[in-house]
Amino acid sequence: MSARRVVITGLGVFCGAAKSAAEFGEVLSSGRSGIGSLDLFDVSPFPARIGSQVKRYDPLDHFSRRESRRLSRSDQFGVIAAGEALRDSGVLGLYSPYDMGVSIGGGAAGMFQGEAWLKAALEGREERPSLLRGILPDQTTTDIARIYRLGGYQGTITTACSSSATAIGWGADLIACGRQKVVVAGGVDTLSLLTFAGFNSLKVVDPEPCAPFSLGRQGISLGEGAAFMVLEDEADALARGARIYGAVLGYALAGEAHHMTAPEPTGAMAARVMRRALELAAVDPLLVGWVNAHGTGTPLNDVVESNAMKLVFGQRAPQVPLVSTKSVTGHCLGAAGAIEAVATVISLNKGLIPQTLNFRGFDPECDLEYCHAGSKISDCRIAMSNSFAFGGNITSLVLSL
Amino acid sequence: MNIPISDIVITGSAVISAAGIGTAAIQELVRTGGNALTPMPAEVLGRKGLAWGKTTTFKVSDFMPPLKARKMDRCSQFAVAAAGMALKEAGIDLKATAPERVGIALGSGFCGLANSAEFLSGYFTGGVEGLMPMLFPNTVPNAPASNASIEHGFTGPNVTVVQRFCSAESAFLLACRHIEEGRADVMLTGGADELIPILVRGFAALGQVRGTSAPFGEGCGMIVLESADHARRRGAVIRAAVDHLRTIGMLIPGHEQEGLELLCGPERNCSLVSLSGNAADMPGVMAAVGGIPTMDVGRAIGRSLAMGGTALATLIASLPAGARGLHMATSPEGPCFSIDILGGSPV
Repeated sequence: MSARRVVITGLGVFCGAAKSAAEFGEVLSSGRSGIGSLDLFDVSPFPARIGSQVKRYDPLDHFSRRESRRLSRSDQFGVIAAGEALRDSGVLGLYSPYDMGVSIGGGAAGMFQGEAWLKAALEGREERPSLLRGILPDQTTTDIARIYRLGGYQGTITTACSSSATAIGWGADLIACGRQKVVVAGGVDTLSLLTFAGFNSLKVVDPEPCAPFSLGRQGISLGEGAAFMVLEDEADALARGARIYGAVLGYALAGEAHHMTAPEPTGAMAARVMRRALELAAVDPLLVGWVNAHGTGTPLNDVVESNAMKLVFGQRAPQVPLVSTKSVTGHCLGAAGAIEAVATVISLNKGLIPQTLNFRGFDPECDLEYCHAGSKISDCRIAMSNSFAFGGNITSLVLSL
Repeated sequence: MNIPISDIVITGSAVISAAGIGTAAIQELVRTGGNALTPMPAEVLGRKGLAWGKTTTFKVSDFMPPLKARKMDRCSQFAVAAAGMALKEAGIDLKATAPERVGIALGSGFCGLANSAEFLSGYFTGGVEGLMPMLFPNTVPNAPASNASIEHGFTGPNVTVVQRFCSAESAFLLACRHIEEGRADVMLTGGADELIPILVRGFAALGQVRGTSAPFGEGCGMIVLESADHARRRGAVIRAAVDHLRTIGMLIPGHEQEGLELLCGPERNCSLVSLSGNAADMPGVMAAVGGIPTMDVGRAIGRSLAMGGTALATLIASLPAGARGLHMATSPEGPCFSIDILGGSPV
């Protein structure tokens, strides 16, 4: 990106594995998983019935009754996590509201509520129209801007599972080019029947907790949540004495132009994006300590990502851990990239490389280091976070301490 | 914040709308002050007297084989067709161009929703057995942009933005930035939307269908942005240039004047203003452009969330060389964009 160095001064997380950034750090350290039973809707008709749902959630703990009715589950999670990041940064009230923007990556958004309206409409019944209010992911963006009085750029990236990684890169870009002084960037997605039924219909959901890069893996475990970062120009952050968690050094994105659902099998396209992200970040691949994998746990994706690692890191690939935190959070679709980027920043700050849970045995096609045996102490300062999506959309972020 | 856009030119555009196929059709419609709205079938909302802007003249078989078309949602068909038309107008031969230097940033409104509704309907009526896996991949809003890249074979930056009535404008900003940063030489940008009965029923439930005053539309407006150097090197016909792009999210209570000044900038000498979203209803915006001829393509072809692509393509096609145009787009809860376009080649 351009001359300005973009730093991270606030973090917020609200997902099935953890309800704050601090708790997320503990979860990543201890190797606990948020994947378990689901009761948000009836999952009994499906072969795979587990996921990472935000349990014990009462909207009234966070919102007034009126506001909780106005906001979809997805909007609520987004407002909560963005609020944590903004408060953590201490940035509210320091800048003109027009210098502060919002960049979000979203997915199914308020589909959970919209489904109830659709079902009623199909049955000839009337349902509350307000169920439709949050059906587009940009509603969360608008609500975050409204509630925290952010009058700058508003944008919602919707590239399926790479959405929020791109939203973070784009948020950093808005600061690098001088359009904004502060951007709260991240993503949100919540469980819905649409995505649960959809991935089940494609037969890519593992009936057991997902086991990325492991022998016998059968696919993803779905999850939900939100994660945000507050991004600022380093000079501004230093001038106000802000705590700096790290920096967004660069990002790259592309469309593979291969297939709507299948990744390009050799990993060449994914490797190209990873290399380009490193180039734009001006980072030598030798300095990358580990990679937060897209790592869904589907048989094909994990092999493709491993292939891409070999193309980028060459003989060093087996020494660069490729870790899937989806084994902790589930696959949070539109929010996945942001949750994984925040996991990466937290781990860099803790000096650890998290583990990939649920090892079931060695897969000869996945022959790199996946930290299946546990998390590791590390003094590395730079990591990458990969996100791949339907449509062949790929984004790689380069993050540093 | 106001940042000048440097050295980005427009070398092609395409429109698919209720007005017809191509920019000439919508230009002529706007020039004559007509509209291409047609009666909305009574079964959509259970009443007559409403109009909508369906793109009835679009025949997908003119653009791709039927077997290929069957795999795509209608919105993706629009995007694939419009991308091909725009690239052709720009004279870009993708076989002779590095595919990774060509990308797309597309605004979408409710893209994906048609497939989502159909997919879920299968489940609600037939349970798990009623699910059609083939429909699921196109439930994502990035399907049109991704299908366009798959069909035409470009592998540069690929992004989709949903941001209310400014979805296309937000994508336009992204596209400019990717060129400015040297991540691509050519970026397709614009907006695509599909209009379906369940969507109109949703609007009606939310109280957004009032008489015949709020016609909804569909289609795609696609623009080819290119770095000026790249366009000159290949001897392209430069149709316009991007000058300034300003955006704010929303007018913050107590800071409204500051926001309007950031959005509208200093007084400008432009000859035509394109209005999109609800810009015509914002007094501050209209005061800033007072007295300058305006055009509002939404009145002619029906409104959609990403129609800024069509409006921009129409503005570009309407600007004589040397003339300055302004595109103003706003959404009721934000965001707002103003984009300055210079007609003809800046060289």
